[in-house]
Amino acid sequence: MAELAIEARSVERMFDETAGVRGVDIDVEQGEVHALVGLNGAGKSTLMRLLLGMLRPRSGSVRILGRSIAETDWGSVGHLVEYPLAYGELTVRRNLELGARLHRIPARRIPAVVENIVRDFALEPSVNRPSRKLSLGNRQRLGLASALQHDPRVIVLDEPTNALDPNGVILLRERLLASVARGAGVLVSSHHLDEVARIANRISVLNHGRIIGSLDPKGIDIERSFFELVHDDDGARVSAPGSGECAA
Amino acid sequence: MIPALVTEWSKLARATLVRTTTALLVIGIALMCSSMLLAVNTTDAGLAAKLGPLIDPGGWEGYLATAAQVTAAAALLGFGVVLSWMFGREFTDGAITGLFALPIRRSTIALAKLTVYAVWCAGSSVALLAALLLAGVIFGLGPIPLDLVPAAARQVGLAVLTGAIAVPVAWVATLARSIIAGIGAVIGILVAAQVAVISGAGGWFTLSAPGLWAASGGADVSGIQLLLVLPLAALAVVLTTVSWQRLELNR
Repeated sequence: MAELAIEARSVERMFDETAGVRGVDIDVEQGEVHALVGLNGAGKSTLMRLLLGMLRPRSGSVRILGRSIAETDWGSVGHLVEYPLAYGELTVRRNLELGARLHRIPARRIPAVVENIVRDFALEPSVNRPSRKLSLGNRQRLGLASALQHDPRVIVLDEPTNALDPNGVILLRERLLASVARGAGVLVSSHHLDEVARIANRISVLNHGRIIGSLDPKGIDIERSFFELVHDDDGARVSAPGSGECAA
Repeated sequence: MIPALVTEWSKLARATLVRTTTALLVIGIALMCSSMLLAVNTTDAGLAAKLGPLIDPGGWEGYLATAAQVTAAAALLGFGVVLSWMFGREFTDGAITGLFALPIRRSTIALAKLTVYAVWCAGSSVALLAALLLAGVIFGLGPIPLDLVPAAARQVGLAVLTGAIAVPVAWVATLARSIIAGIGAVIGILVAAQVAVISGAGGWFTLSAPGLWAASGGADVSGIQLLLVLPLAALAVVLTTVSWQRLELNR
């Protein structure tokens, strides 16, 4: 059996009594999209930061492709969490070239890699513009392109469809599915349940810092199932005071 | 290290703030000092007293002594602003998340930032001397005498050492995750150096030693006092790189 792309066990990091993630277990297999859904403040971004080493867990463990955070080959990982790695004074092309260098793509391969990702995200009209002059949507496309251009085996994207127009959403979906077909493991968070249902193999629901259940991506009324899970969890915590409530 | 160096140099070379600061550092200081030469023939005793070394000893020697006084303060401000921007910008614009989960350590990125800063600082220091000499010639000081070499070398040394005493700003900008905090630290260093000079502690107060050394023609500060700048800068480099490596995005 192939090693897991991402494996988190009992990961915990609380910022105070109410905010953070508590005892989360989550796996992402190679060749699948695992979606993380939850309301604002549920802990999705915090969990992703823990998985990427941006935060250190107070307890629990994280492994990427079978290795601990300290030993992970980060060249195999691509991510976009909240803000794109893009510098406003540099053009789209230069940002992508530097992103490729920082992911240790050999210099001789960089022009072809950049051309390829520019085409995949339809960034040709903007390629020589400083990124500060891009629209929010094109800036998001640039961030996604920078995160994915090195064909990572592990992909972590936090709300990747934010600011994207419908065309951008389709381009992202196609690129992600192509990566999955090559064996990449993808963890993606989103508010858009219908969009998630189109690409996810599994959907986990995060609420108040804990995984409270899963949704069937092929389910008929996924939105209703989501709110039922959240409502039941909120009700259970209210009726069981002191059971470890952690609202963010 | 090379990818990080290329990245940091690309950012520095294209940034409007860095270009503006470099122009102000090089052309601004040269014009400020040379324009004062227009007043050296004044008959106003009060104004002559304010011009200090431009009147006595005057000439190229007095001109570079004046340049040293201006450089000690203005270059510290300029170097500190750029350094603060280099280390605080990713926190301000959010790009810091992209510097995690990379096959390049964040301590390497911090060292690359400091290396690029050092190169820019040295280049600006040499360019400032060139601008000062050119402005001196244009504003009527005549041919550059050969015996000006020690004073010219001190001017470059002062600028470079001023760049070194600004390095703690990188650590402050990192800890505070803020460009503004870094600029605040520069102003703090500037004020502390001035207070030390006024109180007579100048030579042993490392932050003011380079300025005193250059302005006094090397007479008022010993070699040991001057060399104390190096451990201060080295400590700041270590603290900054360790802080970048141990960084957590917990706020």
